Amino acid sequence: MAAVAGADAAAGAGELVQRLCRFAVDEMALSGCALVLMSGAESASVLAGAGRHARTVTGLQMELGEGPCLHAYAYGIPVLLPDLSAENANRWPAFAAAALAAGVHAEFSLPLTAGPGGIGTFDLCRDRPGMLSDDHLADALVAAGIARDAVLYQQYAAGAPGPAELLATAGADRLAIHQATGMIAAQLDDTIANALARLRAAAFASGRSMYDVALDVVERRVRFDE
Amino acid sequence: MSETGAGRPAWAGDSGRGSGGDDAAREAKLARAFVRLADTLASDFDVVDFLHGLSADSVEILRAAAAGVMLADARGGLRLIASSDERMRLLELFELQGEQGPCLDAYSSGRAVQATAADSRARWPVFAPQACDAGFQLMCAVPLRVRTDVIGALNLFRGNDEPFTGAEMEIAQAMAEMAAIGLIQERAVRERNLLAAQLQAALNSRVIIEQAKGMIAEYLTMTVDDAFVVLRNYARYNNRKLSEVASDVVDRRIPSAALARPPGQHS
Repeated sequence: MAAVAGADAAAGAGELVQRLCRFAVDEMALSGCALVLMSGAESASVLAGAGRHARTVTGLQMELGEGPCLHAYAYGIPVLLPDLSAENANRWPAFAAAALAAGVHAEFSLPLTAGPGGIGTFDLCRDRPGMLSDDHLADALVAAGIARDAVLYQQYAAGAPGPAELLATAGADRLAIHQATGMIAAQLDDTIANALARLRAAAFASGRSMYDVALDVVERRVRFDE
Repeated sequence: MSETGAGRPAWAGDSGRGSGGDDAAREAKLARAFVRLADTLASDFDVVDFLHGLSADSVEILRAAAAGVMLADARGGLRLIASSDERMRLLELFELQGEQGPCLDAYSSGRAVQATAADSRARWPVFAPQACDAGFQLMCAVPLRVRTDVIGALNLFRGNDEPFTGAEMEIAQAMAEMAAIGLIQERAVRERNLLAAQLQAALNSRVIIEQAKGMIAEYLTMTVDDAFVVLRNYARYNNRKLSEVASDVVDRRIPSAALARPPGQHS
């Protein structure tokens, strides 16, 4: 852990959190690990990830609007789901089913807490059920703390009130979803929250991703007021 | 500052010191003082209140006449933050002005200093007579220090010339260290929270700007890229922040008609 964190402070937050994710995947036999920045329940950006399931868990939660990482972020507490097929995963039935279908069997989400709200989560997942060992959980908590401080340091170093460049590029691939949400709100003369719910429902009903439906909206192939 | 049961100030004389009951009472006071010193992460934390508490507690527990706390500012200069009474406040201001005295020595050396009335005249020839005129004889200061990091100093003065015992000096140093630890932690947490809030605001406004672009694109039948130009121009003409204007658009506090023709573009 010290070797990962202390190796090269000048490498920057992006490099550091990437290394932390890689370390976690290798050391804890994970199938995915990601550092996710969140702002409000409906916006999550994967800042760094490793493993074949790096983006799977975040992506599913954004599509479905529910899941352990959203919970960990909203309440500032870790969510440990060692077996998604077990009873306790039924807090998020849609997420659990989709994650299992994608090959994720265990998911652990640690909040990056700072102040009254956090800034995101550090997520670990496995393609087989089973709890993290105590040592691995301890390592993961330390890694989450380092990642949080690295991201906040990046924000500090940027000086301006705007996010550091690194953070600004994270999640840029989801901008179309926000644009489409604005367009749908205008078409329906409704709130942003309701427009987002409509977009999510339309994607779910058609079996497509929100991003694909959003592109149809932005490029005016689909309207919601017809 | 509290008084003894006899209605006499605690520092006026210590004839009854040393009985078992006094020790137990002092320990209890000390324990409560340490709890207060550890409690820096409350949401309504106030550094001036905190250090006034340190002054008052150290006066009571160490049987001093008065106490005061100075903290280093960003440039390393000391500033008076809290005093147990007005005499002490004026005296400490004088100490800063005259650039000599126990607090400055404790801060610059990182070590506790103590001087009787005679010692202090030799050591601080300008400051000591002033302190004496104010009614103080024994002078002591301990650094607010965490390992090698010195962030200020605590002054403790007595009206008589009786030196603080070794045990009392240890208590004074421990209270000062505890205060330093609490303050450093509080600073770190406050700075981290501020950065986290800035980051959240920046990420939120990025989302809201995209939503506003979508809304404008729909209302004015244009591309989202053109909608961004409209949004940016409106913010410029009205001398407002882009994120604020975007938020007003999304919440429909700015009608789309107002966006279509910004002031100055009427013709």
